[in-house]
Amino acid sequence: MPMITLFRSLFAPPRHLIVLLAALWLGLSLAEKRAERHGISKEALNNIVYYSILGYILGGRVLFALSNFSAFSESPLSLFSVNIDLFDTTGALVTGLLVGFVYGQRQKLSPWPTLDALTPLFAVLAIGLSLSHLAAGTAFGAPTNVPWGMELWNATRHPTQVYEFIASLLIFGLIWLRKNNVPAGTDFLVFAAATAGARLFLEAFRGDSTLTFGGVRTAQLIAWVILALALFASESIRRDEKPA
Amino acid sequence: MQPTQRRIIYSIILLLGFAWILASMDKSGSSTAGKIPAPQQGFLAPDFELSTTAGDTIKLSDLRGQAVLVNLWATWCPPCRAEMPAIEKIYNEYKDQGFTVLAVDMTYQDDPAAVLPFVEEYGLTFPILLDKTGEMGKAYQLKSLPSSYFIDREGIITEVVIGGPMAEALLRTRIESILK
Repeated sequence: MPMITLFRSLFAPPRHLIVLLAALWLGLSLAEKRAERHGISKEALNNIVYYSILGYILGGRVLFALSNFSAFSESPLSLFSVNIDLFDTTGALVTGLLVGFVYGQRQKLSPWPTLDALTPLFAVLAIGLSLSHLAAGTAFGAPTNVPWGMELWNATRHPTQVYEFIASLLIFGLIWLRKNNVPAGTDFLVFAAATAGARLFLEAFRGDSTLTFGGVRTAQLIAWVILALALFASESIRRDEKPA
Repeated sequence: MQPTQRRIIYSIILLLGFAWILASMDKSGSSTAGKIPAPQQGFLAPDFELSTTAGDTIKLSDLRGQAVLVNLWATWCPPCRAEMPAIEKIYNEYKDQGFTVLAVDMTYQDDPAAVLPFVEEYGLTFPILLDKTGEMGKAYQLKSLPSSYFIDREGIITEVVIGGPMAEALLRTRIESILK
């Protein structure tokens, strides 16, 4: 595993964020190439991404400050700190999605083609996220005796970040090499179902799962629900596509 | 593929998925974290024993029961310098509630003669430890300075902040969380 060691030393925190930024840039470039195939202009695609990122950044910081109001009232300038840890990730995600949704509505963008156009970006971001996990040593695996185990945090562990990387690479390949003549929404739903399926399977090898109901891994439950919704939606778009 | 066939396949996928969730349940309470010492969130903070600038010796595990901020720094590091006043301020605010700071100077890559003037310049009142051999830095897999570890009363790392300077609000939110 010398390459993994080299990668981890090159992109150790906080440099691991460079990987995510590179994935964002690459993903957006690839999404632009395919946008017009889905009837979405490059400009609309770029705008929806930039506004969502802006919403993500501002929402994450403002919601964190609001939920820790007393700490910020003691030192209001902290609101402008460069510390990325002063951030509410869930709030950021919700705000980013909301801003993207509102922009899409105002520009009268059709939801399924827009999501299809954004799918290459999502798929490349998933690859970037797995590499960022690898660099930071987060999303780590459970201890194991398998020959391909990786030394991390003072134990030999399942290289879950590598599993995640391989799965996201395969999912990207599946999306990128798909046929054109499929109903709108298919690319996004295939991505959502495959990503949820991969998470459902791979979470079992993680050593940092959040548990609920006496040992059930919360991420698996969420992934199962997303998988079910994606399969249901995919059936629904196929039905709607059929002539009456 | 016919819609009926597809629905059967989808149902099988979901049933298998659910079976996998049950099969991969972790009844042991999962996470190896909390038991194995490692410089990562959720793990037991690696123990160390170092001498202070005052000539005393401090062992991290002796502070079990207190909330601890372990801050790795050096005199030549600008963000380390920038965050020291905030750490000093917060230390004075919370020390009576069972909070302490262990500021470990990476002496093996610093000028030892510069440490005391630095402490005086910033009026630091918390313990300043000296890592003369680099062993503590190695145990904490030090990659960049400053690096900070928030440790709860059970000795578990609840948050790692690599880089700086840390904002006062960040210190305050994390310390209030580990003091609970």
